[in-house]
Amino acid sequence: MSSITETASALPARPRAAGWARLPLWLRRVILLAAIVGLWQAYVAWSEFGGNPLLFASPADTATAFWDGWRDGSLARATWETMRLLLIGVGIGAAIAALFTLFASLSQIGEDILLLLTAILNPLPGVAVLPLALLWFGLSSKAIIFAIANATIWPIAINLTTGFKTVNPTIVAAGRNIGLKGVRLVTDVLAPAALPNAISGLKTAWAFGWRTVVAAELVFGVVGGEGGLGTYINNAKLYLFTSKMFAALLSIAILGVAFELLFGVLERRTIVRWGMQRS
Amino acid sequence: MSSTTDTAVLRAEHVQLGYWTPDGFTLAVQDATFSVAPREKAIVIGPSGCGKSTLLKAVAGFIRPTAGRIHVSGREKLEPGPDRAVVFQEFDQLFPWRSVLDNVAYPLRINGWKRRDAVERAREFIELTSLGRSADRYPHQLSGGMKQRVAIARALALDPAMLLMDEPFGSLDMITRARLQQELNGIIERTQTTLLLVTHSMDEALTVGDNVIVLAGSPSVVTEIVDVRDVGPPDLPRYAETRLHLRDLLGVTHEEDETHVVDH
Repeated sequence: MSSITETASALPARPRAAGWARLPLWLRRVILLAAIVGLWQAYVAWSEFGGNPLLFASPADTATAFWDGWRDGSLARATWETMRLLLIGVGIGAAIAALFTLFASLSQIGEDILLLLTAILNPLPGVAVLPLALLWFGLSSKAIIFAIANATIWPIAINLTTGFKTVNPTIVAAGRNIGLKGVRLVTDVLAPAALPNAISGLKTAWAFGWRTVVAAELVFGVVGGEGGLGTYINNAKLYLFTSKMFAALLSIAILGVAFELLFGVLERRTIVRWGMQRS
Repeated sequence: MSSTTDTAVLRAEHVQLGYWTPDGFTLAVQDATFSVAPREKAIVIGPSGCGKSTLLKAVAGFIRPTAGRIHVSGREKLEPGPDRAVVFQEFDQLFPWRSVLDNVAYPLRINGWKRRDAVERAREFIELTSLGRSADRYPHQLSGGMKQRVAIARALALDPAMLLMDEPFGSLDMITRARLQQELNGIIERTQTTLLLVTHSMDEALTVGDNVIVLAGSPSVVTEIVDVRDVGPPDLPRYAETRLHLRDLLGVTHEEDETHVVDH
């Protein structure tokens, strides 16, 4: 470890940036965020549309609704319900995608089947299969999970297959040379070598899953029941609790940022650390 | 048949090799016949495109000869395996997600070594290749020369019947290359490993090899096997004579011969 530090200290000093770029990243973000909230507040204060609390919520109202929603548990329950569906759906989707890709990497017919299915099913928007899912699974969370899984299998499978296909042939030869073959070659060499693609596939799948689950819940929201964030938004709309709708959207945004950070940590601990991707 | 060929680690008999291109089948090696005795350091030399790397890949089991036979320790029908450990030319032959130590220990583990023994042996070979201080680094933090050292450590730790090297120093600068050639000699001296090394460098062949198998022509044939055991260091006349002889065999003109024999 000490030798790495030596190398680092031997580097010339990083050139100093001027002005805005000189500020630390977190400070730049805080300032920008404050500016956005400021513009939002200005719109509420000076515009007729923005000033109508039935149509538009102020930052303060949104914060209050957010705080109340999380304190009384309604927003927390809705968030958890959405997260639960999302985790199950993406989990099933990722597992099926991994199996598909394994099959495709071991046989030509497997690859042909996967490419054909991907070409047909990947362009479908996630919610497009929902009516069918409702028909097959009824008004249950199974239908939503089905829609999420369908929305996530294909981006993951595409990325994994690309990753497997573009693995450096020397490293595969090295793997075979030390005695790996078949499934073991896939799990021990191809899979880690394709990890950058796997992570980017998972990120895309996660984003697709989010869109699908919230949209699907909006459909379910009409019939009520124990719902997630989509249901929460829909109910808030029915009673014109505009600030609650804003609070739910804020929750989604915060979760989105949180998962982006989580993926960032995952990348830094793996592919960035291993020099397979620049930070 | 002489007694040396009977005990040979590697025997190639009228090996013919080619590869498929969009235009059809191209014959690279017309006829290669040679053998490598235990603890021998055999060098295959030839100009670019003569099929010397293809020949090494066939010995490694990655491709099959279109005619002829390759025996390794008496076995035919070769599949890739750790008994013929390969050091490739490319620096990215290491697993980037494993540390230096793990790159050497992991192949041992999948070949039946217990974790603790594998790590201990890996440390031994890391020391042998002067990588002790880099054991916990990842490949992307190493220079090209160090990566090739790791590859050599990984291959030798497997205690192969043969070490196969495909222009292992071809992408290195001249100084690093010369140093690694010397080190390789020292390491092979200690491990007593049988070596088959492919190169286009006459000096590498003369520095490292016992016998130089000259592959020339298109498609190529083994034109001569030159014993270079006693050529001595580059400043001796014997070295210069042998080098000149190799140059003639390879059909290299004086102008094409960039690295001159005696610089001082």
